[in-house]
Amino acid sequence: MRTRKAAALAAAVALIAAGCGSKGEKQSGGDADTLTIGASMSLTGSLAREGGLTKEGYELCKKAVNAKGGVAAGGKHLKLDIKYQDDTSKPDTAAQIVDQFNDKGIKLILGPYGSATTEAAAAVIERNGQVMADSSGADDKIFQKGYKRTFAALSPAHSYAASMVQAIAEMATPKPRTMAFLSADDGFSKTVAQSGADEARKLGFTVVATEYFPSGTSDVSAALTKIKPMKPDVIVGSVHVAEGIAIIKQAKELGVRPSGGFAETVAPPTPDFAKSLGADAENVLGSTQWTAKTAGKDKWIGTAADYATQFAAMFGGRAPEYHGAEATAACIALVDAVEKAGGTDPDKVRDALAALDEPTFFGPLKFTPEGQNLTKTMQVVQVQKGKPVTVWPKDAAEAPLIWPGNRS
Amino acid sequence: MSQFLQATVYGLLQGGLFALIAVGFSLVWGVMNVINLAHGSFVLVGAYLAFELNRRIGLDPFAAMVPVAAALFAAGYLVQRGLINLVVKAPIFITLLLTFGLNLLLVNGLILIYSGDYRSVTTGYAADGFALMSGVRVPVGRLLAAVVALLLTLALVAVMRRTRTGLAILATGMDRGAARLMGIRARHVYALTFGLAAAMAGAAGAAVSAVGTFNPADAGRFTLFSFVAAVLGGLGNMYGALIGGMVLGLVEAWGGQLLPGTLVNAVAFAVLVAVLAVRPEGIAGRAFYSSRVEV
Repeated sequence: MRTRKAAALAAAVALIAAGCGSKGEKQSGGDADTLTIGASMSLTGSLAREGGLTKEGYELCKKAVNAKGGVAAGGKHLKLDIKYQDDTSKPDTAAQIVDQFNDKGIKLILGPYGSATTEAAAAVIERNGQVMADSSGADDKIFQKGYKRTFAALSPAHSYAASMVQAIAEMATPKPRTMAFLSADDGFSKTVAQSGADEARKLGFTVVATEYFPSGTSDVSAALTKIKPMKPDVIVGSVHVAEGIAIIKQAKELGVRPSGGFAETVAPPTPDFAKSLGADAENVLGSTQWTAKTAGKDKWIGTAADYATQFAAMFGGRAPEYHGAEATAACIALVDAVEKAGGTDPDKVRDALAALDEPTFFGPLKFTPEGQNLTKTMQVVQVQKGKPVTVWPKDAAEAPLIWPGNRS
Repeated sequence: MSQFLQATVYGLLQGGLFALIAVGFSLVWGVMNVINLAHGSFVLVGAYLAFELNRRIGLDPFAAMVPVAAALFAAGYLVQRGLINLVVKAPIFITLLLTFGLNLLLVNGLILIYSGDYRSVTTGYAADGFALMSGVRVPVGRLLAAVVALLLTLALVAVMRRTRTGLAILATGMDRGAARLMGIRARHVYALTFGLAAAMAGAAGAAVSAVGTFNPADAGRFTLFSFVAAVLGGLGNMYGALIGGMVLGLVEAWGGQLLPGTLVNAVAFAVLVAVLAVRPEGIAGRAFYSSRVEV
């Protein structure tokens, strides 16, 4: 009896030792000819949709870089490998996953989807001395904390709604007078709505209301009922896909018809928007980080049009939209920085990122000392005949703006 | 004033949808003392079935309620007979765990098949509305959903009170031991109950597909609505979920008008707490239901 117990104990000790051993082995972060990058990703949970799109962008970058022979650094050609872990769309889980990557020796990180998860991850990145190329965390707040190791490839939150307000001010005739802002109550959406409202006032519009609703809701009827009597000419939504669709659907149900039309961040460029709204999606304005008409060229992808071709070839003929493109751009920023740094040392890669000034298919990648990309501009699209087409800025426009957007 | 009326009308319609989602959940809880955490994913399965029927053969989502409900009745019957019956006498923690696992399985299965994309079934009429006096608009889709909720609840009450099967379900819910001594096959009755609940979840899903958008992550939200509506309305009364859903819809609508919009959820749960403090059995529940005999 006693010997059996001892044997069990010995077996347990051996198991624990084996467990430690396997962890120790991974400390190097892959073998010497592989560049391993970690990514915490919303593969399930409330942001699974956008998380999936972001992952596609990273995968395309991996394929493109490896097809061109890999990352040239320190006299070697490293094969790019990206390890994903599901953060279930929760910020604290994203932070833990980034920490776990650090334990495994993975110092170079690609950002998770969304501002909340990115903000949580950025704090851990800073503490651990890792480096993160942020592909979708646009909230300006992330970059006001003095972090030195997070770099966002995309345009910041304050230009999301402001770009649409500028487009309306520049091109809409008859020019609308009043605007109402509807916003989800997460940090990113609030920043977008507030800076959008500031821009509207600056350009001479009257902002009749700014209403908030819980982020991720599919019922925005309360906010719509509140602004209906104010009869705004334009309703600007600072939203994600779910709330964006809900605004259009419920506005129709409640008979809220702005004389100018609707403008929404994030939702209109996604394929789900036109698909699930049908004819009601027509003429809704949206702002986007990227379209296939964006100017610029890099050695991995080529031009924006080349990106569209590669994306279609890789994902069953689908047209890319900006979530994938910004992910690919962040990945390219990190890869370029590794090449310029001549290795994977996180401090050198950080310095190379800070000094980066590269044209890409996504537009210029150049970062402020805070880590934001202010060189690139947002574009404004309008859903026309079921497809988002670029209408602003004028030099990238595919079609003229249809105004007023609300035909009835 | 018309703004307040509009909020009230919309809240009542929204409440009807909540009630439709919650009625099956409340039934299972009341009869079997099983809190079915997979209820929200049944609603979603119903929504995706309606979506498929619409995409493949162009069936209207409200017409799709019938085949969807039939399919989910069969699935629900089998799940109860083959799975939940095995642990139905175990402490509530075990059934919670089982239905929680079932929920994970269904939600992630849906993500595998349909990805996280937002879907909805577009009909020509669901978002249209007609004006009631002084500019209060009534959207057709939501009105239909609320009417269906009311009819289904009435039908459920009729089945429970007037048919032998319904009486057997009620009797088993009150005292399983005595019911079995009277010759009622508890296993079969439980499976029937769960099948009925799943069928109603499926019908709710078809309604959701017509008036809203859905993706697999919504399962938790639907279960939460059901939980609040069931507790608010009270267990052991077939009208409980209907009342609970309507109250929830109204409270959310009024709360959204009188307070900042981000407090909607806080208001809904504050009302739940208040009701439970004053009437622990819920608005229409019966106290004896919690002290029934469990054999």
